[in-house]
Amino acid sequence: MTAQSIFTWGAFFLYSAAAFAALGYLFSKDARASRAMLTLLGFGLLLHAVGFAARLAAFWAFPENRFFLPLTSFYGALSFMSLALAAAFFFIEARARLGILGAFVLPFAALALGAAVALARPDVEPLAQPLRSYWLNLHPMLLMIAYAAFANASGVAVALLIQESQIKSRKPTELCYRLPSLDELDGLNGKIIALAYPVLIAGLAMGFVWAYLDWGRVWTGDPKMTLALITAAVYGVFLWQHFAAGRRGRRPAYVSLVGFASVLVTFFGAELLRGRHAYLGGPR
Amino acid sequence: VKLLQLGWSHRCAASAAREALAAVPVERVLAELKARGVSEAVAVSTCNRFELYAASSSDAPPERESLLEALAELAGAELAAEAEAREDARAVAHLFSVASGLDSLVVGETEILGQVKTAYEAAKASGLTGKRLNVLFQRALYVGKKVRSETGVAAGAMSVPSVAIQLAESIFGKLEGKSALVLGAGAMAELAAKRLVARGIGRLTVANRTWERAYGLAARFSGEAVRWEEFPEELVRADVLIASTGAPSAVVTRAMVERALAKRGGRSLFLIDIAMPRDVEESVHALDGVFLYRLEDLESIVAKNMSSRAEAMAAARAIVEEKTGEFDAWARSLRSGRELSLRHARGSAA
Repeated sequence: MTAQSIFTWGAFFLYSAAAFAALGYLFSKDARASRAMLTLLGFGLLLHAVGFAARLAAFWAFPENRFFLPLTSFYGALSFMSLALAAAFFFIEARARLGILGAFVLPFAALALGAAVALARPDVEPLAQPLRSYWLNLHPMLLMIAYAAFANASGVAVALLIQESQIKSRKPTELCYRLPSLDELDGLNGKIIALAYPVLIAGLAMGFVWAYLDWGRVWTGDPKMTLALITAAVYGVFLWQHFAAGRRGRRPAYVSLVGFASVLVTFFGAELLRGRHAYLGGPR
Repeated sequence: VKLLQLGWSHRCAASAAREALAAVPVERVLAELKARGVSEAVAVSTCNRFELYAASSSDAPPERESLLEALAELAGAELAAEAEAREDARAVAHLFSVASGLDSLVVGETEILGQVKTAYEAAKASGLTGKRLNVLFQRALYVGKKVRSETGVAAGAMSVPSVAIQLAESIFGKLEGKSALVLGAGAMAELAAKRLVARGIGRLTVANRTWERAYGLAARFSGEAVRWEEFPEELVRADVLIASTGAPSAVVTRAMVERALAKRGGRSLFLIDIAMPRDVEESVHALDGVFLYRLEDLESIVAKNMSSRAEAMAAARAIVEEKTGEFDAWARSLRSGRELSLRHARGSAA
C-alpha cells in the first residue's frame, strides 16, 4: 500500500465517521456530534489533500504528465469529486451554520471516495498521447466540480422536502425547528445549481472540443455524452423553473434530485454501457 | 459548611418576605454584607425569587443567622421562617437547577440565565467573589447553557402566538422584510399584530369590515389599513395572513388564494386561522406552497411541547447532578490542597 492510498483510505474513514456524526446530530441534537462532524471532516480533508498531493507527485514523476492532472481515470475523477464535495460543504454550508445539512451531503462524499478506493486502481502511468490535452484535462476537473456542487444541492433538496412535509403535516417535530427555513433551503438549492451550471456547461464544452480535435467530430453517439446532455437539460429545466417560472419549494427540489440521479447515471451508468468513456471496463 | 444558600422562591406559599427582599436593590444587599465582613456572596434577585449564596474562605462556615439578620434588616421584614436553606453540594445542585430553568415557573425559560449572570457580575464588581464562587457561577452559566442545548427543556414554544411565529420562521427564516396581512380588528388580531411587530415583521396591513377599526389597529402598530374589498389584492403581497374576523362563513376562499398564487412568483404563503367559525377554506392547505394552520393545530403543538418539556426534565436533572458531582469533587480537592482541574474532576465523577 502506498502512502497516498493510506492517506486516502484514512480520508475515507474520516468522511464516513463525519457522515455518521452528522446523522447522529440530526437525530440526537447533541451539539458535540456537530462539532465532531466538523473536526472529523476537517482532518479528513487534510488527509485527502495530502493523499491527492502524493498522487500528483507520483503522476508528475513522468515527465510527459508534467502539465496535467491525474483526473482522467475513474479513481482520479471520483477522488477529486469527493474532495470538491467535502471541501464545498466544509467551507460553505458548515460555515453558514447549516451544519445540519451534513447528514444529507456527507454520505455522498464518503460514498464517492469509498467507490474510488474500493473499486478503482489508484495507479498512475504516463498519459496516452491523445489524453495529453489541456481540453481533456479541464474536462473532468470542471465536471467533477459541477457534480460535487450538484451533490450538495441534492442534499439541500432532501432537507427542503423534509422541511416542507414537516410544515405541511401540521404536526412538526423538533426537526422542523432545527432545519433551515424553507426559503433558505430553496435559495441555497437555486444558488448552488446556478453557480454549478456554467461549470457543467464549460466542462462539457471542453469535452466536445477535445472530441473534435482528436476524433474529428463533436458528436460520436457515446452513451456518456448523451447522458451528460440529459443531465444538462434537467438542470436547465430547474433553472428555468427557479428563475423564470417563479416555482419554489417542492417541485424544483424534485427536479434537483432528478438532476443528481442523472449525474449518478451519467457517471456510473456509462460504465455498464461501455463506450469511449469506460474507465472500469476498458484499460485503466 | 463551605457554601450556604438561602432562598425565597415562588415555591413558598407566603410571598411577603420575597416581595420585601425584591424591593431592596442588589447593590445595597452586597454593600451591607461586605460591611458585615462577609467575604464571598452573590445575591440573585428576580421577581420570582431572592437567593443568597455565601461562601467562606477560611474554615469558619458562613453564619446563617448573621446573614438572615442582615437581610431582615435590609428588607424590614421577618424572613427566617420562610427561608429555604441548602449547604454545599445541595446548594450547588440548586444553583445549577435554577440556572437551567428547572426551578422556574415556566420550566426551561431562558431569562433566568441572564439574571444569574447579572447577579454574578454585580457581586464580582463589588469584590465579593473569590475563587470558589467565581468557579461556581461560571459553572452554573455553563450548565444552564448545556442543559438548554442538549435537552428539550427549553425547546418548543409554549404559547399559541410563539408557535405561530416559530412556524413562520421555519418557512421564511427571518421575518424582517416580510409582510403580514391581518383580517379582523378584534382583541386576537391586535395580539397577533403586536407579536409580529415585536418580531420585526417588515410590513403590516390590516383589513376589517369596519374601516375605522382597521385604521385604528393599523395606526397603533404603524401599519397600513386597506378597505375590506381590497384584501384579496393584498394576498398577493402578504407572506403571513392572520384571520380572526367574526364572519359567519369563510372569507378567504380557495379560488381567491389560487388567483393570488398565480401572481406570487412561487413565494410561500402562511395562513393562520384563529377565527371561530373558520375564516379560511380548509382546502387551501392542499395547494403547493400554502400552509394553513388553524387554532387547534397550534394548540396541539403547544400541548405536545409542554409534555415533551416535562419528559426532558429527567435528562436535564441528570446533567445537573453530573455537573454538581464534578464541582463537588473540585471543591473538595481545593480543601485538600491538591486542586483537580474541573476536566479532571469530570473524569473521576463520571
